[in-house]
Amino acid sequence: MKKPDGKVVLLGDMNVGKTSLLHRYMERRFQDTISTVGGAFYLKQWGPYNISIWDTAGREQFHGLGSMYCRGAAAVILTYDVNNLQSLIELEDRFLALTDTASTDCIFAIVGNKVDLTNEYALLLERADESRPEKPVTSCISTKVQKQVHLDDAVALYKKILKYKMLDEKDVPAAEKMCFETSAKTGYKVDYLFETIFDMVVPIILRQQAEGPPQTVDITNYKSAKRTKSGCCA
Amino acid sequence: RAMVFVLSEAGKPIYSRYGNEEALSSTMGVMMALVSFIQSGDNAIRSIYSDDRKLVFVQQGPLVLVSVSRTLQSEQQLRQELLYVYYQILSMLTQVSITRIFERKKNYDLRRLLAGSEKILDRLLNLVESDPGFLLGAVRCLPLPASQRDALGALLQKAITPNLVFSILVAQSQLVTAVQERAVIEECRLEPTDLHLLLNLIGASSAFQAGEIWTPICLPRFNPDGYFYAYISYLDAECTVCLVLLSTDKESFYAVSDCKKRVEEAMRTQGSLQVLSGGLQSPSYSVGQVGVPGYPGELPPAAPVHQRQLSSSPSPELEGPYCSEEEQQRLFDLYHYLHSRIHSTSRPLRLIYHVAEKETLLAWVTSKFELYTCFSPLVTKAGAINVLTKLLRWIKKEEDRLFIRYPPKYSTTPNPGKGTKGGRPDGAENGFFAGL
Ligand SMILES: Nc1nc2c(ncn2[C@@H]2O[C@H](COP(=O)(O)OP(=O)(O)O)[C@@H](O)[C@H]2O)c(=O)[nH]1
Ligand SMILES: [Mg+2]
Repeated sequence: MKKPDGKVVLLGDMNVGKTSLLHRYMERRFQDTISTVGGAFYLKQWGPYNISIWDTAGREQFHGLGSMYCRGAAAVILTYDVNNLQSLIELEDRFLALTDTASTDCIFAIVGNKVDLTNEYALLLERADESRPEKPVTSCISTKVQKQVHLDDAVALYKKILKYKMLDEKDVPAAEKMCFETSAKTGYKVDYLFETIFDMVVPIILRQQAEGPPQTVDITNYKSAKRTKSGCCA
Repeated sequence: RAMVFVLSEAGKPIYSRYGNEEALSSTMGVMMALVSFIQSGDNAIRSIYSDDRKLVFVQQGPLVLVSVSRTLQSEQQLRQELLYVYYQILSMLTQVSITRIFERKKNYDLRRLLAGSEKILDRLLNLVESDPGFLLGAVRCLPLPASQRDALGALLQKAITPNLVFSILVAQSQLVTAVQERAVIEECRLEPTDLHLLLNLIGASSAFQAGEIWTPICLPRFNPDGYFYAYISYLDAECTVCLVLLSTDKESFYAVSDCKKRVEEAMRTQGSLQVLSGGLQSPSYSVGQVGVPGYPGELPPAAPVHQRQLSSSPSPELEGPYCSEEEQQRLFDLYHYLHSRIHSTSRPLRLIYHVAEKETLLAWVTSKFELYTCFSPLVTKAGAINVLTKLLRWIKKEEDRLFIRYPPKYSTTPNPGKGTKGGRPDGAENGFFAGL
């Protein structure tokens, strides 16, 4: 197999819809009953590049696998549920730290999923109408609720991430560009999300390749890390 | 079917079969009150019988499991069912972690860690109540000529990498072959229970062919406190054939994924997928195949056969009056009943000849096998024994095809640099492996 050139990781609490987003993008459909066991690895051909995508379960911190999924990542997609404020808070509290092993120039996207359930959805559709070829399935939206998390909250989180990563706003993509609202159920902005990310990952791949193959560094990293670890393990 | 609840010692709902925990929290409250009341007297409740139902309680560490049932199932079986649920929870979280979590915070909401896995437990309970393998503690294996099974085993033996411990090939939840690291000592081989839990976990998750799964998993019977890292991938577009590779190294995803590519490649050149789909299409065995001469109006002998050391149990396709789901369930309940009689702790039996309303059943247990059969109500005892003898002769002849007799092994050469850590599940501190 061709080694993947770049790595994208989906992180976020259980049930926010990470697997559904990936299903929608890769398989063009939505399945109501999806359950994830741990992490799942997918390969996506993007132009001449092989991009690997890790879907995670939301228990990574508990299982200590987060750093493995994130190691060397060129992009991290932090996902929350727009109807669940806690899921946004968890991103900062539990998931941000897992990205410490990501590539130094890793890009971050913040994605609020399940917008189809909110009362703002119709409005969003109108605004985005021209650019959307697919007709959304409006019939399945019956119980609309007041949105709990607004785009501003996501933007605020994005800025906190930059601070955490000690990055300058001038050197990274603008918050407005990196905060998305999607619906895996209707497909709203799902392609847009992944394609935007993949396009942004390409320059990172090129830089990583210029500096040496990241995936092999991956394995060497782990070996030296393990050796030191077993040295201090009781 | 049995209602099943799992709650924490503090009374927090963790799981409930059929319905959401909120709606049932009042029921849970009553149960908790009962549990704590009797516990306080140093005398944990085991079960409560009312006119038409049984309540069975099992406490495991900080978890309380409750089953409410109206079926023929014995208390012992309901308890077994609850233990399966407990083990499945362990398979996702391990025993030490659960203990630690509740030590730190008595009223922790364990659903935070189990969200999304209700489906796994729902599916498990449905299986426990319908798959004879659970009743018998054996895993159903795909009938396959021995030469073909050996060829597939050999292929798995070649596709190895350090710290790989088990390689398992499965076709539609039926075991094709399982290869294990030589260093795993005899008594700690892959347990049928663990295999059931693993296969259930896989079956309950969405299958799509493009993805490869890498997940921590605990095999609680093997070691309730340690994780393996499971690589799971389907080998065909229809997601029927599944490869499961268990490693003790959580970082070995790419190496293990590479093993899968080698397996895939070798299977392609050997045409193994066609062999397997052939095996899947032919019914496991029909009563006709056994060559039992017909009795007028005879019912099919339904015979989950279990050979103790082999961990496998084919059953024939159910025929005739047992085509409907209700009838199958009814028959299965009868088997459950016989099973409980035969394995009764107070008075175990070797042979039961049971004349029921619509059929006559015969159950037989020896040190080598356990056999459950069902006949027309008109059968005579001599007639039934005669059929059994023929059936056993047929099974003996077909043994190599129906069972996995000698699971193959490999040596993934624990990396000397890694010292004794190689070949142990993560976090395991017990000497499960030989040669430590
Ligand atoms: N209405 C709605 N439901 C969704 C959406 N995305 C996911 N879901 C549902 O939310 C639940 C969790 O989704 P899943 O993809 O498994 O979440 P994950 O745990 O983050 O992978 C499932 O029942 C999905 O059907 C969405 O965009 N809209
Ligand atoms: Mg998921």
